[in-house]
Amino acid sequence: MVGNPGEPEQPDEKPVDPETPPPPSMPKIRSFSCPACGAPVTIRYPGATMSVVCDSCHSVIDVTNKNYEILSKYFSKTSLWCPTIPLNSRGKLDGKTWEVIGFMVRSDVASKYCWLEYLLFNPYYGYRFLTEDKGHWIFVTMIKRKPDNVYSTSVRVKTPSKVEMDNRVYRIYNRGISKVDYVIGEFYWRVVVGSEVNSADYIDPPQMLSIEYDDTEKIWSLGKHIDSKEVEKAFNLVPRTANLFGFGIGPIEPSANSAAWKKMGPLWALFFGFLTCANIFFSGTAKNMVATEYYGNFVPNTKINDITIPKFVLEKNSANVLISLFAPVRNSWFYVSGEMVNNTTGASYPFEMTSEYYFGTDSDGAWSEGNATHELELSSVPGGEYYLNIDTESGDFKNTNQQQFSIVVKRDTPSWYNYWWFIFLVSLPPIYSWTMMRRDEVSRWANSDFNPYVSDS
Amino acid sequence: MLTLSCPSCGANVDFKSKASLFAVCSFCKSSLVRQDMDLEKIGTISDLVDDLTPIQIGTTGTFSNEKFEVIGRLKVGYKDGYWNEWFAMLGDGRVAWLAEAQGFYAFCYPFFDVSPPTKASLTVGKTVDFGDKGIYEVDDIRDCKCVYSEGELPFNAQQGRASTSVDLSGFDKEMSTIEYAASETRVFLGAYQDFDAFQFKNLRHIDGW
Repeated sequence: MVGNPGEPEQPDEKPVDPETPPPPSMPKIRSFSCPACGAPVTIRYPGATMSVVCDSCHSVIDVTNKNYEILSKYFSKTSLWCPTIPLNSRGKLDGKTWEVIGFMVRSDVASKYCWLEYLLFNPYYGYRFLTEDKGHWIFVTMIKRKPDNVYSTSVRVKTPSKVEMDNRVYRIYNRGISKVDYVIGEFYWRVVVGSEVNSADYIDPPQMLSIEYDDTEKIWSLGKHIDSKEVEKAFNLVPRTANLFGFGIGPIEPSANSAAWKKMGPLWALFFGFLTCANIFFSGTAKNMVATEYYGNFVPNTKINDITIPKFVLEKNSANVLISLFAPVRNSWFYVSGEMVNNTTGASYPFEMTSEYYFGTDSDGAWSEGNATHELELSSVPGGEYYLNIDTESGDFKNTNQQQFSIVVKRDTPSWYNYWWFIFLVSLPPIYSWTMMRRDEVSRWANSDFNPYVSDS
Repeated sequence: MLTLSCPSCGANVDFKSKASLFAVCSFCKSSLVRQDMDLEKIGTISDLVDDLTPIQIGTTGTFSNEKFEVIGRLKVGYKDGYWNEWFAMLGDGRVAWLAEAQGFYAFCYPFFDVSPPTKASLTVGKTVDFGDKGIYEVDDIRDCKCVYSEGELPFNAQQGRASTSVDLSGFDKEMSTIEYAASETRVFLGAYQDFDAFQFKNLRHIDGW
């Protein structure tokens, strides 16, 4: 391994082959007079730099030959824009040292939305861009590869809505024309203030694929989210805490909430599936045995106390018990309170049940309310001998004849009661996670023309 | 390795590759054409003023598990800048090229089993079918001139030599270059590779880095 070229401490970068002639003298910083204002202009990387901006009058000068042709005149004495990272500062990003040699302000022609771009240079690794958009930083590397499913499309074909590379699917985030508004520093191409280029951004956080194209070329680049703290540390900047809360989530800023949902969503689906399968299985294998059936008489509008329903056996060690009460109620009610008692241990399961049914007609038509049958489920009742003690009450304005009610006790019935509770409880964290994810994603896409959440606003 | 002496200054001129037909004397910068064992001086290469490259004659690297050594260089200029074509020799004597521009590095081999398309038939975005080597898309077409040469090269690389260079890209990192020069058309096939993956040794030192 050669290590990291660009790190001066690496000894094996120095030419050591004695047969090789000594390297030509190092390219020095080159200076010349600005053809527009006469001020001295310095090129830090002659040979690599094609155009440079005069510090004094902000004219952009072509330095590919000694004619020093002016590419665009600016004549601004004041700095309209101040780069967050000063020109010529060096910092370590992505494991390599980079020098900021150029700074641009670019904007979308249609929306006037603007952002900042820093041109980074390392003579071994070439160029990178660092974009700064409202406190969100993206480290951009130009790539020679092309995303897969647009491989054969011509530059004239409209940019598709999705592209794919390295098993990642990127969704279109913005498409438009980008314009250069302001430049300082030096560049490896002829930068022209006011020049426009077609562009499109595709996102799959924390990564972004961007294309810039005109009739003669198209350039793809891969952007990666970089934390503002990392940029501040790399270039020794004063931390800007104001950005922490000010601007929402960046286009490709990773969201902890989205990441949590990505994990929790499938987990929840798995849980849901598992619980459903389990419950279908247990329901299917439930014995559904009638433990006892009791029929009793009652006269409406009277109370009967201390009915004892004779002993019955609940099989199995532990299962549910379903108590069904039926009374022939018609615009009347029948109420039972009582307890189911274990004959051996004396354990008591108190319960109250009401059978009530009302119906009639009003201006909206026929209506009805309630049910003549009332069911009550007791969970996890141990097996053994049991009996019931009940009291009854009833109310009826019309029919006062003696009637018959029934109580049926069933053991081990198919039950969805616990299932729904489980589903509800298990769903609480995912519902929270989904809500938080959605909040972040809505914020992320707020600046996009292709906002998938736009129908909500 | 063949060592001849410069007809101009008498210094040793090495030809490491049998494929090399041209060399620049490292002492007097005479450009020399080789005919068997004879060297003929055809001119002088003027010095390079601005040059910023980490590669130099003698740099070694690895591509596709093969080691190579850089033995010559052709620097070409076009209207928007420069790039370097470094002539490289592999361990078994085969030759290849390391193309270097703005921090991009591609390694490519001469490819003879194809009849190249005519220059006039190519435009950006068009595809070229190289048979079982795949289909390549034209990325750019540039008219360029040799602005500097050094070391040994397989053709007469006098300054001012004009050519048209067509860059094509294939699947993933595969690339191709078709070079249309006055006397011949050459096709190269290779791939881009990251700087670190080349495991370069004996790089040129760049001041301040």
